[in-house]
Amino acid sequence: MYDLIGPAIFGLLSVGIIAAAGGVVLLKRITAQALLMAFTFFCMAGMFLLLGAETIAAFQVLIYVGAITVLILFGVMFTKQDERAYALFFQRQTPWAGAVVAAIALPVIALAFSFRDGIPLPPGGDLIPLATSLFGDFTFPFEVASVLLLAALVGAIVLVKRDDDEEPTGPAGEPLP
Amino acid sequence: MPVGPFGIDPAVWAVLRLIIAVVLAIFLVLNGALAQIFLERKIQALMQDRIGPYHTGPFGLLQTIADAVKLLSKEDIRAKLTDAPFFLAAPAIVFSPMLASFVVLPFAPDFVGAGLNIGLLYLTTLGSMTVLGIVIAGWASNNKYSLMGGLRSAGQLISYEVPQILALVTVVLYVGSLSMIDITRSQPDLLVNVLILPMAFVTYFIAALAETNRNPFDLPEAESELVAGFLTEYSGMRWGVFFVAEYGEVTVVSAIMATLWFGGWHGPGVDAVPALGILWFTAKTYGFVLAFMWIRATLPRLRIDQLMGFCWKVLIPLALVNILATAVLLLVFADARLPIAIVNWALVAGLIFGLPFFQKRRLRGFRVRTRDTAALREPRGIVS
Repeated sequence: MYDLIGPAIFGLLSVGIIAAAGGVVLLKRITAQALLMAFTFFCMAGMFLLLGAETIAAFQVLIYVGAITVLILFGVMFTKQDERAYALFFQRQTPWAGAVVAAIALPVIALAFSFRDGIPLPPGGDLIPLATSLFGDFTFPFEVASVLLLAALVGAIVLVKRDDDEEPTGPAGEPLP
Repeated sequence: MPVGPFGIDPAVWAVLRLIIAVVLAIFLVLNGALAQIFLERKIQALMQDRIGPYHTGPFGLLQTIADAVKLLSKEDIRAKLTDAPFFLAAPAIVFSPMLASFVVLPFAPDFVGAGLNIGLLYLTTLGSMTVLGIVIAGWASNNKYSLMGGLRSAGQLISYEVPQILALVTVVLYVGSLSMIDITRSQPDLLVNVLILPMAFVTYFIAALAETNRNPFDLPEAESELVAGFLTEYSGMRWGVFFVAEYGEVTVVSAIMATLWFGGWHGPGVDAVPALGILWFTAKTYGFVLAFMWIRATLPRLRIDQLMGFCWKVLIPLALVNILATAVLLLVFADARLPIAIVNWALVAGLIFGLPFFQKRRLRGFRVRTRDTAALREPRGIVS
C-alpha cells in the first residue's frame, strides 16, 4: 500500500503543477494568474518534499508563496483591471512559442526517462548538507546575491524619497532665521 | 503481517493517525476560539469595570456558543460585485495554514503530531501564508476600505515577518536546532531561554502581536478608519472563519513563545507523569494568550507610519545587532551563556530606556519644524 501512496501524490502534484502553470499562461485575469502561480509554487514545494528536501520545500513556500506572490498581488492592486492593457502580451506568437517549447521539452523528457534507478536518501534530512554547501562551497555567489539585493533596496529608497526634508526656506529661497 | 500500535496494521494506522490528528486539531482550534472569545470579553470587561456577558448560562459561559450558533445560522450574503472565486477562497487560505501549524506543536513528550527536524521553519512558512489570504480578501471584496485593509496588511505583515524570523534565528543559533522537540529538551531546568535571550523574546512578542493583527497593531481591520478593513464585506460564518483563524494564530504564536523561551512542556512532575506536560504547555500558552488580551484592553492603536517606522527603524536593527552579538559570542566562548545573557539584557534595557529619549528628541524636532513653517505662512506686516 505504501508503494502506491508516493506515485499517487506525485501524480496529483504533477497534474496540479501543469494545470496551474497552463492557467498562468493562458488565462487573461492577472489576479487569477498570480494565485495560480502561487499554487504552482506550492505544488513544487510538494515535489521537493517527495524528494526528501524538506528545507528547500519550506523555503520555497516561505519565499515564493508568502513573499513574492504577495508583492505581485500588491502590484496588481495598483494596476487598472482592464482586459486591453494585457492584450499586448497575447499577440499571435502561439505557434512559435509552441515550437520552441517542444524543442526544449523533448530533450528534457528524454533525459527524465533515462533515469532508471533511484538512490536511497541519506539519513538526517537535508538541512545540514544544504547549510554546509551554501555557506561553504557557494559563499561567494550567496554574498554577491545579498549585495545585489542591498543595492536594489537602496535604489528603491532613493527612487521614492521625497524632497520635503530640506530646511524650510523663505519665498526667495533665503534661509529662515 | 507487521503489527503497529494498538495491534493495527501500520498502513491502516498511518491513515487513522492522520484522521485522528486532523479531527483533534479542528476540535482544539474551534473550542479554543470559543474559550478565547469568552475570556477576551470577560477580561476586557474586568479591566473596563464592567460585568461582561452574564445572562446566558453560569457566568455567561454559554454566550459564545450562542454567538457561534447565530453565526452558523446567518444568511450567506455576498455582494454582487465581489470577485466570487477569490472571495470564497480567502477564508480558507487564511484558515488552513493555521490549522496545519498544530502538527508540530510539542504538547508533551511523545505527544507531537510530527517531530519535524525543521519544525520552526515549517511554522514560519505557514505563518507567512496568512498574508496571501488577507490580501486576496481585501482585493476580492471590491470595496475601497477592504482594499486599503489588504494593502496595509501586506505591508505590515511582510515587514514584521523580518524581526519575527530574526528573533527565531537567535534562539536557533543558541540552541542549535530547528526542531521544536529539541528546543524544548534543551531547557529542562529553571534556566529557561527567556533568562538568556530576553531581547529575542521581546522582539518576537512585538512582532507576533503585529503578525496576528492584534492590538495595538490591528491596522488591517481598524474600525475607526477603515470600517473593518478586509473584513468589511464578510458576514456570517465566512467572517467567523477569519476570527477563528485569528484566535488560532494567537494560540500558535503563544505556543511558539512557550516552547522557545519558557521550556514548553517542562514543569514540576513531568518526569514522573509525562501526560502532565500537556497541562503545563497549555497553561504557558494561555498565559501568553491572556497577555495578548491584556495588551488589547489597555493600549491604543498605532498609526500606520508609526507602525512601519517602529519595525524598520527600531526592531530590525536591534534584532540584527542581537543576532550578530549572539553568533560572535557563541564562536568566541565555549560556554557563552553568561555573555549572551548580558548582551541581551543590555539590549532590552536600551530598548526600554532609550526609546522615550529618542521619542522626546524627535517630538522636539517636529515642534521646531512646525513653528518655522507657521512663521513662514504668517502674512508679513505691512511696512509703509
